[in-house]
Amino acid sequence: MPSRLRRHVLWLMLAGLFTGCATAPPAPPPNVQNRIYIANESGNSVSVIDANTLEALKTIPLALKGAHDMALTRDGRTLFVSNLLSGELAVLDTGTYTVTATLPTGNRCHSIALTNDEKQVWVVNIGENNVSIIDVARLRVLGTIPSVGKLPGHIRFSKDGRFAYITSQEDGQLTVIDTSNHQIIKTIAVGKLPHFILPSPDGRYLWGGATGERHVYVIDMTTNTRVKTIDVGPKPQHIAFGVRGMFGPFAYVAVEDANEVVVIDARPNELKVVDRIAVGAKPSGVSASPEGGRVYVSLQGSDELAVIDTGTHRVINKVSVGLKPVGIAVSH
Amino acid sequence: MGLGRYIRAAARSAGVVLVLGAGTGVADATHTGLGDTPRPIIVAQLGPVGNAENAVGTLIVRRADGRVDQLRGKGSLALYEGDECRTERASRAYIKLADGTQVAMNEETTFVIRSRTERAKGATRIFKMLGGEMWMKTQGPKSIEVETPVATAAIKGTEFNLQVLPDGKTVLTVIEGLVEFGTPFGTCPIPASSQSFGERGKRCTRPAKVDPAAATSWISGVVTQ
Repeated sequence: MPSRLRRHVLWLMLAGLFTGCATAPPAPPPNVQNRIYIANESGNSVSVIDANTLEALKTIPLALKGAHDMALTRDGRTLFVSNLLSGELAVLDTGTYTVTATLPTGNRCHSIALTNDEKQVWVVNIGENNVSIIDVARLRVLGTIPSVGKLPGHIRFSKDGRFAYITSQEDGQLTVIDTSNHQIIKTIAVGKLPHFILPSPDGRYLWGGATGERHVYVIDMTTNTRVKTIDVGPKPQHIAFGVRGMFGPFAYVAVEDANEVVVIDARPNELKVVDRIAVGAKPSGVSASPEGGRVYVSLQGSDELAVIDTGTHRVINKVSVGLKPVGIAVSH
Repeated sequence: MGLGRYIRAAARSAGVVLVLGAGTGVADATHTGLGDTPRPIIVAQLGPVGNAENAVGTLIVRRADGRVDQLRGKGSLALYEGDECRTERASRAYIKLADGTQVAMNEETTFVIRSRTERAKGATRIFKMLGGEMWMKTQGPKSIEVETPVATAAIKGTEFNLQVLPDGKTVLTVIEGLVEFGTPFGTCPIPASSQSFGERGKRCTRPAKVDPAAATSWISGVVTQ
């Protein structure tokens, strides 16, 4: 073969190689489905558990103090973590287990919620009695809503996004904010030290626990009035909704000073306690798997995550996590 | 010396604090093979953010640990991350940041010096303004933002004046360059020689042409350069 021809053949082969490289498909993003995230308040970290195998995948150190509440984007790839003692929000890439940003919000930032369009994160600053509104794309605090109540606790949005609900622990009330103009439109008395709140699966009712009393309360969000108070035991904390096969929904309430998860038939015409499950010392955070068959409970007394099977109401496993686990988030 | 410790020591000598991501060698971290190389991000300067160089009346600086320092007249008072700077009635102050940015505080002004850090973009200096009026002039493009109770001004390399009224309403006057001005209801660029208002529950107003000199007449006598 003449040398010129050989050079041409060589160039064609090299070009083919490079073309092949250029068209190789990009590596798929890491799988972030079926994960459980636990905020460890005294461990200053987030534990990551595989929801299928219940194996610990990672403990992510935050370099901030007092990891407390979390909000996970719908795609499961970005996790926002409030850090109560630092007054800062940490932003985590769940695919790589890394902290990608930290930003100050306010004194003792407590609970957080993503707006329904996921364009903003609202952060409750318990030390300033206000809410910081953060632009998710730019990670900027765009403004605050002042005077949302004394010692504000948790925040949740109505399923249509028109209202934000914030518990006010010192006032013993729930504050309702119109999200179209950030005005407080109503306050509802709910009992001493109201803390956690969560909309029902159908979006009509808001459930909350009064940690200074023994009850959970149910608010009809169409009228913003309290429709029921249910005695569950001392210091009710977080709530999650699950199902038992064909039946449900049921509300699973962590009752901290009883070391139990109390199960309530959450159908509007029932609203009564149907079971009590001993889970371990100081249950605090509760969250359910997306299909509602498992309920995860953080145990502050033993630094564990308890797993309840909703079909049998048995604790089927306990997994070690970090020091003083509080908030739980679950990916789909 | 472990790699993580080495990076932290190197960072200290460079005047930065690090947040270490995956695989930092923390005792309770488990390993998955994902990203086990330490990847530091800068979160805050350990050294001074800048210096207060002049005060007409008194500048009061409350440190993060609660201690209070004051500057009266010309001098050099180092300012750090977390400091709350405050001027009382009939007092004004002038601050020069380490990067050359000039800041002036009008009377009855309070802000806290903070920062945001992003792995992709680095650190952004944040002035969390609780009330009053400030003037700022940067030297070229900088990552600086001023938060007020109702809005945020992101500086793109410019000179501007920002006034926070008692109800939180914010008046931004851009003298030179461009400022990205936003409330929770929208963000808009404000060009030179224009003014915009940020109000609770509303978008910032469209930029209106103004004479910027009128907005900054108060800095005369306090800015030393």
